[in-house]
Amino acid sequence: MQTTIPKTSTALSTLLLADFTTQWRNRRSFLLLLLVPVIILISWKGIVDKLGGAFALSTCLTIGLVAIGLMGYSNSIARDRDKGVFQRLRVAPMPSWCIMASRLLVQLIMIILLTVIVFIAGHNIDHITLAPAGYAITFLTAVIGGAVYLGLGQVVVGLIQNPETVNSTTRLIYFIFIMVGMFGELGVLGDQLKAIVIWSPYGTVKRIIAAGMQPETWNTEITTALLLTVGYAVLFSVIGIKKFKWNNR
Amino acid sequence: MNTGHYILQVEGLNVYYGAFHAVHDVSFHVLPGEIFGLLGPNGAGKTSTLSAIEGLLKPRSGSVIVAGYDAHEKPLHARAVIGVQLQATSFQAELTVSEILKLYAGIYGVAMTREKLMHILQDIKLEDAAGKKFGQLSGGQQQRVSLAIATLHDPRLVLLDEPTTGLDPQSRRQLWERMEAMREKDHAILLTTHSMEEAEAVCDRIAIIDHGRLIAIDTPQSLIDNNKTRPEVISASRRGKITLEDVFIGLTGKAIRS
Repeated sequence: MQTTIPKTSTALSTLLLADFTTQWRNRRSFLLLLLVPVIILISWKGIVDKLGGAFALSTCLTIGLVAIGLMGYSNSIARDRDKGVFQRLRVAPMPSWCIMASRLLVQLIMIILLTVIVFIAGHNIDHITLAPAGYAITFLTAVIGGAVYLGLGQVVVGLIQNPETVNSTTRLIYFIFIMVGMFGELGVLGDQLKAIVIWSPYGTVKRIIAAGMQPETWNTEITTALLLTVGYAVLFSVIGIKKFKWNNR
Repeated sequence: MNTGHYILQVEGLNVYYGAFHAVHDVSFHVLPGEIFGLLGPNGAGKTSTLSAIEGLLKPRSGSVIVAGYDAHEKPLHARAVIGVQLQATSFQAELTVSEILKLYAGIYGVAMTREKLMHILQDIKLEDAAGKKFGQLSGGQQQRVSLAIATLHDPRLVLLDEPTTGLDPQSRRQLWERMEAMREKDHAILLTTHSMEEAEAVCDRIAIIDHGRLIAIDTPQSLIDNNKTRPEVISASRRGKITLEDVFIGLTGKAIRS
């Protein structure tokens, strides 16, 4: 008897629908992730002129991307792995990459949504407007930057099995990224730390996003930051995928 | 030996976790329409054997042939003819029963019409819970959904990993009836269980696995008949009459496993 294997495209689209539905049902947690960037935009209302619109928006976007990659993505992966959701999907006749591809596509949409919301909030709260090219390039740089934090989230779930430990670890990393990243970049924590922050995953992502908003400011240093960002994304993804286990046993 | 008619053929299976040898040279086969039980104490290697058949674990050596497909060489073909019910609750808690059924219908390439969906829901007595989230279902209801998904694509081999754990007697009986119905349709079933009552009630043949090795394989009655005079089986007997549980305890020992 000849056995027909279901089409991968059909399996992937069905999986995507299920993952989007799950994301929609968990929309409250996504809204909470969005809250920090929006609060920053509100609280910086009076100093945006001094800091610059690109600085404000790129900081908010970077913080939002860290939250999506570290807290949204890694926690959902850790939780579903713990429940055996992945194991059940893996015994179905579809390639295992479909499972992660579907999850990553959902996160990609979340990154685009975050970018749109930050743009809208920036425009309405702080009256920040960009040139059309600035909007377009920012979407691209946000996706590249998002890949760094998704990769970092993958490293966390690769190295840590327990979903509660994953949750607390990602919160800690998120907190460190915001505090050290934001204040370090402003020079509050000293020049040495400022230099480290600038070339850290936080700094490079933030710089390419800020430069993407003002394409005329793009220079060789930003290109280096872009290459470094891609390097971080690849490095984190390789470690995360290599260390990742589909089950908790 | 003509092996063409076997639904499942496991030969010389060896599974390792690092240096730990979990499954030692295990070989057995399952025929169409047969309910085959894999029994063993905790940590004996039942789930590891099942995981290797499902393709979740890569064996160090040995082969698994499902309906003529080598599970290593043609994993997707092999998985397409297998239906699986895993030990743990394994569906997204946020999705409703209908959504989960539609998800797996899509993955297995089964056309899911509204009528078919209603038929499945009626069959598992969950027509009123179609819109209920999986995480809100009781243990028995979750098991029924899990079994419905395992058989959604009319698989030739159904793997059930401790399917009745945590079920009340009514739900357990209902599951046994479902297994019988599957057998009548010529589906083969491979189940692991800790319940000797279940094994005796539904299995045509039983394999006992301990410390990763198959130590006995036969029909429930033959296992009893062939072992009832062994001193360790007699000493395990509590009521005079030798039962499958006595044989199991006699062969695997009285010590509690972790």
